[in-house]
Amino acid sequence: MALKKARRAGSGAELNITSMMDMMTIILVFLLKSYSTQDISVAPSEDLELPVSTVKKNPQMAVNLIVSKKNIVVDGVPVLSLEKVDDEDNPGQKKIQVPEDQRNGQLIDALLDELSKKADTAKNIGQQSGSEEHAFKGRLLIQCDKKLPFEVLRQVMYTAGQAQFSEFKFIVYKME
Amino acid sequence: MAVKRRSMEAPDLNLVPIMNLVTILIPFLIMAAQFVQLAVIDSTLPAIGAPQPQDEEPEKPPLNLSLAITDRGVTVLGADAILHPEGAPEVSEGEARPPTIPCTSGGVCTSVEDYDWNKLTVKLGLIKDEYPDEENVILVPDNHIKYEVLVKTMDSSRDDPSKPGAEGDPRLLFPFVVIAGGAK
Repeated sequence: MALKKARRAGSGAELNITSMMDMMTIILVFLLKSYSTQDISVAPSEDLELPVSTVKKNPQMAVNLIVSKKNIVVDGVPVLSLEKVDDEDNPGQKKIQVPEDQRNGQLIDALLDELSKKADTAKNIGQQSGSEEHAFKGRLLIQCDKKLPFEVLRQVMYTAGQAQFSEFKFIVYKME
Repeated sequence: MAVKRRSMEAPDLNLVPIMNLVTILIPFLIMAAQFVQLAVIDSTLPAIGAPQPQDEEPEKPPLNLSLAITDRGVTVLGADAILHPEGAPEVSEGEARPPTIPCTSGGVCTSVEDYDWNKLTVKLGLIKDEYPDEENVILVPDNHIKYEVLVKTMDSSRDDPSKPGAEGDPRLLFPFVVIAGGAK
């Protein structure tokens, strides 16, 4: 009825956008609050659930190593897949492990190659820039699924150690 | 009557351009928003090579504090003199030593919450009282210990939230963590 009247008057029906404006303003404030310029982003997925910790230190940029339930990824490049096998110690349960043909004792060959390449690149950059700030310090950011057994983590750390990464930074969710 | 009211009212503000701006800003901010805060735990590889020769004999023997994490609980190693002033508990031959901090359920820990983290923090506080300058702790986890248990152990040994330290922060215990390879 009102519409008819308005059309008859010659002007289009006016939308009341004040309430929408109110809503938008609230959303805007909320989003500005959660705006962040952190270097590192985590893509949450079913296979990568980070643990929660009380630590307060902020992450810095470094070589990024992701160990999820399914695979190992270095700086976005998948390096190898993990397998799920029957656990000999706990019959009936599965455990995640690095496939035996992929590793040499503790050493994961494919990961060593990839990390050594990264270390060499980082060293080159450090040399060419000549500044202390960009020098290779052997820092490695590790994102690790919280259900992963220590055995896999130890093999990963050992391999990283062989590739001259010695400073491990475990990425965790900050407790609110 | 209606005419009179219109002349009194302020003219309507044109909100459409602001709406346009806000609508563009929102998708951009959603992309940049981070809904989880990240943090890092520092850890280093154990030093490889011969230990540094020490020039002078330290007054106190160095504390080699280690935490062995198994599915039966956490065992504090290297500080027997503080934890057991009357002598270490007797363990018969061939039997594993019971953990210093057993699981709350008594037997095998099934989840992270099963470990007695508060008790661990208290025990480490006692050791810190004796060795105020010591800041290192070595973790020796069992092979199938889950990563989240490891992180929780590091949390419990880092600081004691129940006791205030300097500048209102919780009292620092052993913030420098070294993860040992474990025996294999």
